[in-house]
Amino acid sequence: MFARLANGLTAPERVIEGQGTALSRTMHGVAYDEVNDEISIPVALGGAILVFRGGANGEEQPLRVIQGSETRLIRPQTIAVDPLHDEIIVGDTTARAVFVFDRTANGNVAPKRVLYGDQTKLLDVVGVAVDPRRNRIIAASRSVSTTGILTFNRTDNGNVSPKTMITGPNTGLAHFRQVAVDPESGRIFLAQQSMREKRLEPYRGDRPRTEEEFKRAARASSGRVGPGFVGVWDIDDNGNVPPRAIIQGTMSRLIAPGGIALDPKRGEVYAIDGGSSGYFVYNVPQLFRDPWTALSPGTR
Amino acid sequence: MRTRLFVSSGAVTALLLLLIGGSPEQPLEAEVLKPLLDSPMEGAICLMPPERSAYAQTRGGGAGGRIGEEGPRKSVLDWPVEGTATIDAMPTRTVFDPYPTFGGLGLDDTAGRAFFSDSSLSGLLSYATSAGSHSTDITESQTHVIGPDTGIGFIAGVAVDPERREVYAVNNDGGGIVTFGYDQTGAVRPVRGLDTPHQSWGISLSLARDEIAVSVQQMSGIVFYRRGAAQLEPPLRTLRGYETGLADPHGVAYDDQRKELIVANHGNWTELRPYSPYDPLTQRTQAYQPGRFEPPSIRIFEASAAGNVAALRSIRGDKTGLNWPMGLTVDTERNEIVVANYGDNSIRFFRRTDDGDVRPSRMINGPRTGIVGPVDVKVDRVRNEIWVANYSDHTAVIFDRDASGDVAPKRIVRNAPKDSPALTFTNAAAAAYDTKRDALIVPN
Repeated sequence: MFARLANGLTAPERVIEGQGTALSRTMHGVAYDEVNDEISIPVALGGAILVFRGGANGEEQPLRVIQGSETRLIRPQTIAVDPLHDEIIVGDTTARAVFVFDRTANGNVAPKRVLYGDQTKLLDVVGVAVDPRRNRIIAASRSVSTTGILTFNRTDNGNVSPKTMITGPNTGLAHFRQVAVDPESGRIFLAQQSMREKRLEPYRGDRPRTEEEFKRAARASSGRVGPGFVGVWDIDDNGNVPPRAIIQGTMSRLIAPGGIALDPKRGEVYAIDGGSSGYFVYNVPQLFRDPWTALSPGTR
Repeated sequence: MRTRLFVSSGAVTALLLLLIGGSPEQPLEAEVLKPLLDSPMEGAICLMPPERSAYAQTRGGGAGGRIGEEGPRKSVLDWPVEGTATIDAMPTRTVFDPYPTFGGLGLDDTAGRAFFSDSSLSGLLSYATSAGSHSTDITESQTHVIGPDTGIGFIAGVAVDPERREVYAVNNDGGGIVTFGYDQTGAVRPVRGLDTPHQSWGISLSLARDEIAVSVQQMSGIVFYRRGAAQLEPPLRTLRGYETGLADPHGVAYDDQRKELIVANHGNWTELRPYSPYDPLTQRTQAYQPGRFEPPSIRIFEASAAGNVAALRSIRGDKTGLNWPMGLTVDTERNEIVVANYGDNSIRFFRRTDDGDVRPSRMINGPRTGIVGPVDVKVDRVRNEIWVANYSDHTAVIFDRDASGDVAPKRIVRNAPKDSPALTFTNAAAAAYDTKRDALIVPN
């Protein structure tokens, strides 16, 4: 945990780590619940969700652990919390699903709802967010057929079509991770790591993939290359629509942002950049408050 | 050119099968609460053409072979499209560590060389085994391999080949193993690259067996390759399965004298199924196995072990004090297994024949040691010293081989000026804002 005003080479204020935490040294998601003062983390390598108290530090045990055969979790990667409706939303890349649990779920419990199936277009679900005000779940998902930002009605369940799908070449969406939403403005923020699609990993399990698999992946690529960006859409955007705004370019210093957090009150966007091994903070209140028409192309 | 279609479910099925390739599975059906297990595809294994092993590394989001080589390559000049407001503004605050973060350690005591992976800035540094002092300044490295063509990404374990004077470094988030000559430095290409399963971490070389062993976290297994294997050469064998007790393995070390393989495990386990954007939804036939948390352990196997076989011995239990055990090594002359115990900032020594819930024979730990987030440890038999790579501090600390307790290091190798904070970022990709404490939470 870093102080919000941290700048430069700064040690974290607190670190939660160690065997007793049940964390692994590989985690790709986090959510903070400001109503209940809790931190939720998906542990992909253990097929579990951990919930810590907001002030946790050191080798502190989680308050609750969701894990077991009833949960259907395999490798949860991304998470969001809806304190208004007392729900935890989890994106699981391997289960190819979005699970919704009761916020206070603990132990081997079944999800309340599951979004899964070919109609959902969900596959490699790497980002989830929830807008409790508009009752929408937002999922950032990648697949050969549909790579983009999908939104669902919050209470959707089963093999249902998304309410909206932002996908297509004009969106620029390719290789991304975390997605966030500002419920006040209804704007979606996404951290994209690269203009090039996620590369096909050379192994499936413990065996190398075949030549044909690499060729198919290559044919599926747009061929586009370039650094990542932070993209902003309206929650009701749908189709092959470009972002309303992006943070990108040499001055931004972004290389490959995979994580994103928002402070809407201050108009700040935090971009965690694996390419830089650090993070950047942008003062962009216009992205939260200005009408879209006020954001002109080439805004500096 | 990738095509986007918005069609009915039947056509999506056909399109997926067309794009991904014919699958023997049934047509897609979604049963909401039944995730199913897919078997690995069997198919002809071919070595990829050299172009696919080009080493241009992408930091962030994984690296690996190039995609899109067959399609027309577009630059960013057609992006963003008209109507997008572009904000190319300087960040108001930047949190970044300009100094290396040691992630793995390989040591050739005969040649007098120590090699460190830098998982933060993606580099490989080497020092003489006589390096280090009590200076507060940075210790100058002998070599420093760094740059996009090196193929180095989020790098972890390191191993040395004293016969060939080569150093192996394992990428943990794509990119496989890259091998360099001892004296290579700068923005150089590796002498060899080897693709490995995703989330490979630790590596050990056996001269006696002429092979390397690589731990793979997400697979909870070990893959073994021929020494000198390259590109997409398949493993000689794999060690994985429930009986092995492997769970989120990290450090791995051959004991050529006893013909054994020692593996440190964090204890996280979940099943591995196809998960990439290129692996479609499929009908599955095997039972779902939920994730679990096992206690940390050190498992000892026959060096020739393969498949789903039990360990010969398992060091685990409360008395061991194991806590996120990371890199480890075997001191054959002292009959010791030496492990970097990240979770409590200690180096723990066990007897090579230990089994069960046993106390370490000795430990190096305490505030005077300067051990902070140890990720790897090696023994220098020539100089009678122990080297410890710290992840959570910008140092490596060197002790007498007999050191025990809360002792100060003999020497310190610094990759930053003394007291420089350690950000400890490696491939961080998520964040949340804590409104109550006005803080940013970043899982790493």
